[in-house]
Amino acid sequence: MAARGLLRCLSSNFSSVLPSIAPSVQHSPRLLTSLSYLHRTLATSSRLSAALKFTDKHEWIRVEDNGLGTVGISNFAQEALGDVVYCGLPEVGAKLEQQDEFGALESVKAASELYSPLTGEVVEINTLLAEKPGLVNKACYTDGWLMKMSIDKPAELDALMDEKAYERYIRSIED
Amino acid sequence: MVLQSLCALRAQAGASLSGLPAALEHGGPGAGLVLRSLSTDVFRNLALEDWIHDHVDLRSRGVLLLWRNSAAVVVGRHQNPWRECDLRLMRRSGVPVARRRSGGGAVFHDLGNLNLTFFSSRGGYDRRRNLRVVTGALEALRPGIDVRATDRFDILLDGHYKISGTAAKLGRTVAYHHCTLLCSADRRLLSSLLRPTCPGIHSNATASLPSPVQNLLDNDPSLTPDGILQQLAEQYLTEWGVRGGSVVAVQPDEQSFAGIDRSVSELRSWDWTHGRTPKFSVHTTLELADPTSAEVCTATAHLEVKSGRVESCKLSVPPAWLPRAACADLAASLVGARFCPSEAAAAAAPFLQSEPRDVDLDARLRNLCENIVALM
Repeated sequence: MAARGLLRCLSSNFSSVLPSIAPSVQHSPRLLTSLSYLHRTLATSSRLSAALKFTDKHEWIRVEDNGLGTVGISNFAQEALGDVVYCGLPEVGAKLEQQDEFGALESVKAASELYSPLTGEVVEINTLLAEKPGLVNKACYTDGWLMKMSIDKPAELDALMDEKAYERYIRSIED
Repeated sequence: MVLQSLCALRAQAGASLSGLPAALEHGGPGAGLVLRSLSTDVFRNLALEDWIHDHVDLRSRGVLLLWRNSAAVVVGRHQNPWRECDLRLMRRSGVPVARRRSGGGAVFHDLGNLNLTFFSSRGGYDRRRNLRVVTGALEALRPGIDVRATDRFDILLDGHYKISGTAAKLGRTVAYHHCTLLCSADRRLLSSLLRPTCPGIHSNATASLPSPVQNLLDNDPSLTPDGILQQLAEQYLTEWGVRGGSVVAVQPDEQSFAGIDRSVSELRSWDWTHGRTPKFSVHTTLELADPTSAEVCTATAHLEVKSGRVESCKLSVPPAWLPRAACADLAASLVGARFCPSEAAAAAAPFLQSEPRDVDLDARLRNLCENIVALM
């Protein structure tokens, strides 16, 4: 079958796709302003600033005093998405591997997959988002959090980006 | 398991390089490719989209997939089919409801509607550019035609009639944007199916925005679906800088796309089409009638539905009409059943058939049950 060979050929580099760090969010002129906003948001709360870790898929995780991780998406991501109209979140009790899909955010007819920053179990989801999905836009680092999870493999945290590294990463995408 | 099959697919992908058709060999970086599905099964075509999304390297290539379906209603990922369409009429006329993985609202498909899926890397995802391919193709076919993309990524004809709607899915490294193009769809069937019939639904699911629609061929009968398809392909290949490309027909079967059958079954399953509906509640009044005495009575029903199943059911019926305990037992029998007529009726059957009852009471209970099932 001709098409088979054709698609197979297109997928010949498939194995090398996985480890690559590709820009995941569409570029938009609005994003040029996002860096300063991110800085401002983080700088106003030193506690957040100290504890947030970021993934290359623009999720953040904060380790709480009780050892659980709170997960959300970054300001860069929420700006790129536009107005969030629905938050598809996992069931409490769901067990996630690092980088597993755990839900999707819908905005302007687009469903964007969410990826778990760490391995662990979902212990709570932000039920406010059912009525107010726009909190993800308005307060992505505070009231707009998505879920809380157990941190089963703490070593995974070390590989995530801190705020400075994430800022550099965003700059590299924008360039 | 999943990882294993992925590895197997990767190995197969690497091993079959030699099968590349000559016409496609000169597609280097920046190249585009146009495929046309030979299937008209909505579930198979949605599975083909998933297959391409999951298995094709789209880092430096774009793929345009053109496909058409037999009559079907396709709802968005986070929608409630009970709120979007007339499920009873669809069951009667054999029109399936499908749920796609992208966002957006409910659309009607039939052979008079052309679907386009633009696959790209996530960085290359650009809905405006894709819609320019569509409007550009129509302008090339009919110079002077007034077609424009809106802020919501619809395409309007003459500034008013929607001829195309858009939805998209963004994954880890790749994305797709798909849109409909109404060529000669059955507009009567469209408007009779895209009409909710279950009253009193409360839900946070994404709601559709109904729009006045128009068929391209009604507007200009000299256009042909094949002519439009060919022009879209040419416009796309030009946009991607491919010379001498053509449309490659593909049969989305297991032989060509390993694993696709499983994906088709999943998309066809009730648990995906209906069960993935965001949690909702139904709060409505029921007009009860006594089949023997012609008496009538008003009752209320309040059901909570999670993952497509009845999580709780409360029936408020005047005690003079039916004893409270009987209503509570009927309500309890529905808990756990799928919110669908056949399953709910089957779930209530043991209770309705249990102890011998007064004939009148029995008729009223059955009437109450029928009224609840009719909501589904």
